[in-house]
Amino acid sequence: MTWNQNDFWSGATLFDLARLTSYGGTRGGNCPLLNCTAAAGKSGTAAVDLRWTVVMEKAMEKKRKFAENIIKLAGIVLGATLLGKMFVALGFPETNIVVVYLLAVLLVARFTQGYQYGILSAVASLLCYNYYFTAPYHTFAVNDSSYLITFVIMLVTSLVTSAMTTKEKLLTKEAKERGEESQILYMLSSRLSDAADIEAVLRIAAESISLLFQKNAGCIYVGRQGAPVYIQQVGGEQIHRSVQKPAELRGKFSNLRTEYLEDEDAWYYPVNGREHLLAVVEIDKAVRTEELEEKKKFLHSILENIAMALDRIEITIERVRDRENMERERERANLLRAISHDLRTPLSGIMGTSEMLMDMTEKEDKRQALLQGIYQDADWLKAMVENILSLTRLQDGKILIHKEPEAVEEIIGCAVAHVERSFPDRVIQVETPEEFRLVPMDAKLIEQVITNLLDNAVKHTAPGEAILVSARYTEDSVVITVRDEGEGIAEEDVPNLFHLFYTSKTRSADVKRGIGLGLAICETVVKAHGGTIVGRNRTDRKGAEFLFALPLEEGEKADVQRKNTGH
Amino acid sequence: MFKEKILVIEDDVQIQNFMIYTLENAGFAVAGTVNGKDGIDYMIRKNADLILLDLGLPDMDGMDVLHRIREWSEVPVIIVSARDQDKEKAAALDDGADDYLTKPFSATELMARIRVALRHYYRMSGAREEEKPDDTVYINGSLKLDNGAHVVYKDGNEIHMTPTEYQLLLLFMQNPGKVLTYHTILRKIWGEGYGEDTQVLRSVMASTRRKIEKNPAKPEYIETEIGIGYRMREH
Repeated sequence: MTWNQNDFWSGATLFDLARLTSYGGTRGGNCPLLNCTAAAGKSGTAAVDLRWTVVMEKAMEKKRKFAENIIKLAGIVLGATLLGKMFVALGFPETNIVVVYLLAVLLVARFTQGYQYGILSAVASLLCYNYYFTAPYHTFAVNDSSYLITFVIMLVTSLVTSAMTTKEKLLTKEAKERGEESQILYMLSSRLSDAADIEAVLRIAAESISLLFQKNAGCIYVGRQGAPVYIQQVGGEQIHRSVQKPAELRGKFSNLRTEYLEDEDAWYYPVNGREHLLAVVEIDKAVRTEELEEKKKFLHSILENIAMALDRIEITIERVRDRENMERERERANLLRAISHDLRTPLSGIMGTSEMLMDMTEKEDKRQALLQGIYQDADWLKAMVENILSLTRLQDGKILIHKEPEAVEEIIGCAVAHVERSFPDRVIQVETPEEFRLVPMDAKLIEQVITNLLDNAVKHTAPGEAILVSARYTEDSVVITVRDEGEGIAEEDVPNLFHLFYTSKTRSADVKRGIGLGLAICETVVKAHGGTIVGRNRTDRKGAEFLFALPLEEGEKADVQRKNTGH
Repeated sequence: MFKEKILVIEDDVQIQNFMIYTLENAGFAVAGTVNGKDGIDYMIRKNADLILLDLGLPDMDGMDVLHRIREWSEVPVIIVSARDQDKEKAAALDDGADDYLTKPFSATELMARIRVALRHYYRMSGAREEEKPDDTVYINGSLKLDNGAHVVYKDGNEIHMTPTEYQLLLLFMQNPGKVLTYHTILRKIWGEGYGEDTQVLRSVMASTRRKIEKNPAKPEYIETEIGIGYRMREH
């Protein structure tokens, strides 16, 4: 990143931030908090030179302040002495002079910055009193020892007065600062709450921060809702930049241990939301570390406000998207269900009629093969329609799964019989445990899961390759595995296996049909049972394996049982 | 030549055509009605030897048709229903239907069910008394049950069974090819008052299968009809 327009800031003051946050400058007066030195960040100056200039300027400033305070102090003490001289000339008692000096100390404390001047004035007043008004005059010697007591009391009184005044002044200043700070933040947050989208928030954020430091600043959105956006405030302009490697950025800032990161160009602060990193704020490196420290609290408040605004917008986006998705999903399911339902009856007719025609046709007749084709296509369509109906029913959530204690071997047996009927030339091996247990499940749905997995296995294996379905019990679940020796799963398909309508892109479309429903149903059904399903390639040899686990007992009952049996 | 008469009560004309055609080809006399009322009228006026009854009829519930017919007739009734009507299927079987077919079904399936239903009907009407003392030897494939000697053989070897397992196997050997609902089995073996808890039945079924089947999860004799009951396959 490069910064081009640093010079822009040399004229501006932080007063602009106050104006910015208060809609066009209704606030009058100065803002001490923000009225800090606009550091001389001139472009074209090397960083070392810059720092040197800064140090020099700071020293100069200190000297000037010191001189100013000393002059004030001297003037006030001198004034008090002159007044004292006048009182002596007029013949007033000496006690009045002591009071005048006390007043002088009070005034010094009020009009100078820091304790040291109050103390200095107390000492100076004491010396002047001693020098001018106690006998012997114009010496620091004292004749009357009772004056010593007057001196001590005068010193203590003036010290206490000075300390109290200075302290009160500081408190007032702090309160004023805090008041202004909260007012600015209030304005900022009300502006942010009006922001309708992420970009608007970023614009306000970039502007506020760059005004706070009088330097260029930027804000990069890397949150979860929508594409990364990067707004940079360069001088008076806002630039839309592209985000380089948002994932890397996210990774770098998500688990940040330090408060901020830095590189050659900028300081980077993470903006964390409730759940994840929302944005990264960048501040031009021309801002000094001390300045960052000085405005740390204020900067943090601004960052918090930005985080809140971004969080709010993310939630809104998410909610709207969820609602739209649900609506779309429901419409699609309704349409699918309606179509599927109406397809079922004519399909039965087609299957029946073609079968009947096959019976009526001679085995050698060429038409036999055509009829076979009609029958098989109708059968395939029928299976698909059944799958769609199950899926839409499940996803709708209207039909709850009907769990009853079932024997796993019976369910597997039915599924195997079903698949062997459809593919008479294939033999499926079955292994079930000797132990007999009943597992709560919706028998029809689990049969369909196993059938779909077996169908899948048959489609992806050659006739000689073995398909095995097996079951085993673990401590709290039954695991059913369908394993084949076929071609296995293409690497790029593995993450998408259970996605609705996903079909492998690695093979040509017409080789083996499927519209990606079967496995999606499996996942939906197994999840509805509180179980898990995985599909992967075998590690022992070629082929794929699908495993799903169903809990043996449901919820509380399981806990109680486990406690009772001491597991 | 005597032709058994089959009545098809089915509102879907396409499926009715298919059934009528298949049955006529197989040598049955077939009549068809598209609603329940006409079906009952037909039975009253002309009678039939077997009824194929669709559960989803336009004018009345298929269950009601079954109940009306059962008031006077023991004619075998095979229910024809959609896939997701398990509850109705089981209820119809418990209320006197003899078997069921799930749409879409093949001609082979249709014929097999009809043959079983008719055979049972004839045997029952021939024997009349269902509970007669029975010392028959039942044979199905490599399975042999000698009810007189109370012994079961598989591949010629005697297998030991508990009394309940024996009762269960006997029931299936007596009803080959026919679906037996959980309700029916429970009533016949455990008695009327037992209720509808199928867990014990399943557990006895599991142990029986372990004795008569090579692989209980790939049964050759007693097949599971999910949600309904069991059926003994004929060999």
